[in-house]
Amino acid sequence: MNILDREMKPWLHGIVAVLFGFCLLWAMITFPKMHNTLVDYVNKILYYPEKPAIELRNIIKYSSNWVLERSTLQDRVSKLELANRSMAAQLLNASIKPISPVEGMVTAKITLRYPEDWWQGFRVDKGSKDGIKEGAAVTSEGFLIGRVMRVYSSYAWIQMITSSSFLIAAAVDETRDLGVINGDDKGNLTLLYVPEERGLKKGMGVSTSLMGRHVPPGIPIGRIIESKESKDGFLPVRIEAGAHLTQLYSVEVYTGGEYKE
Amino acid sequence: MISLTVIWFLQDFIQVFLMGFFIVPDIFLMSLLFVALLPGTIKEKQVLLIWVAFAGGIIWDFRWTNLPGLTAAINAGLVSLSCYTWRKLPAQGRTVVLFAFILTASILFSGLAHFVLWTVPSQVAFRQILVQQLLGVPLVVIFSLIYWKASDRNV
Repeated sequence: MNILDREMKPWLHGIVAVLFGFCLLWAMITFPKMHNTLVDYVNKILYYPEKPAIELRNIIKYSSNWVLERSTLQDRVSKLELANRSMAAQLLNASIKPISPVEGMVTAKITLRYPEDWWQGFRVDKGSKDGIKEGAAVTSEGFLIGRVMRVYSSYAWIQMITSSSFLIAAAVDETRDLGVINGDDKGNLTLLYVPEERGLKKGMGVSTSLMGRHVPPGIPIGRIIESKESKDGFLPVRIEAGAHLTQLYSVEVYTGGEYKE
Repeated sequence: MISLTVIWFLQDFIQVFLMGFFIVPDIFLMSLLFVALLPGTIKEKQVLLIWVAFAGGIIWDFRWTNLPGLTAAINAGLVSLSCYTWRKLPAQGRTVVLFAFILTASILFSGLAHFVLWTVPSQVAFRQILVQQLLGVPLVVIFSLIYWKASDRNV
């Protein structure tokens, strides 16, 4: 009876629960695969009850942004149309037949972005059934912000360009110098392996080069801010991302053709 | 238990809706403490509430903190500690003011523990925790008023 009474003591259960909680925390840190599976599983279940909140949030967000973004987008469309016309004319002059675009884009909403992985990745609400493939480019406002890391049927995890494990070939628009873009998990971007004598200037654009299977060339990434200290004859260059990486609510994922290595 | 599940989902719903602006106050923890410290709550129910706190915390961790076990341990620990303190007090001492104090101390501890263990300590994170705590103040008042009414009925 005494044992039974002790078993019903709230403090005893409290201690057991706290210990169990910390054991679980240790287990999750030790076995990240199991952790990821469980996180995905719970998030998959919660996706449906949370959907009204996500939709409501997006409606408010988009309607407030609509007025502000409209004029900016109209300006951009006009500029792009002009550029497109001029390029079409140049292609015509050079007797090159323009290629019709084959790649598609899927707009996906961000459903999860952990504070501790803020600059590393996030989850979107579109997956393989929407045509998303592993490694595909992810853009926001036309600028590259990352690529698809893991794909599931109805959602996918995106690795951001600011992640330290993200490496992608890029070219400086004005000089066509090639380098590799790398993040630092703190929101900064660096263009690596550019020879120091190249004399890159602040404000020059950087975009993707034809190097990845799913990442098309020519997607703008950002602009050069400054050069860092020279290392082994190469000059790491600091890049300012073109997209607003702290204000990501939805992104575009490339679902089109594959690009040769 | 259904009402606690609804409250958990309500907290999750608000957090999804306000994601990026601030962290929602821990309504679930406040509700657990409210039910656990009501005069009519028996020991068996308090034990059940500790495990409900644990379960709610663990799902919250999987969804939001990415540190499964942290919120679960904090919630369960706080509910059991509050129950223990409450039971050690004479009936005359179990006042609304003390209830409000326990509620405030619990959400403050939970917020600080999350700030230290979960976030990367920064000004932004501190501001978010501060806003969360400030938003918790009217909720503490509301819960205390409800508690006052509920304990009046139980006398």
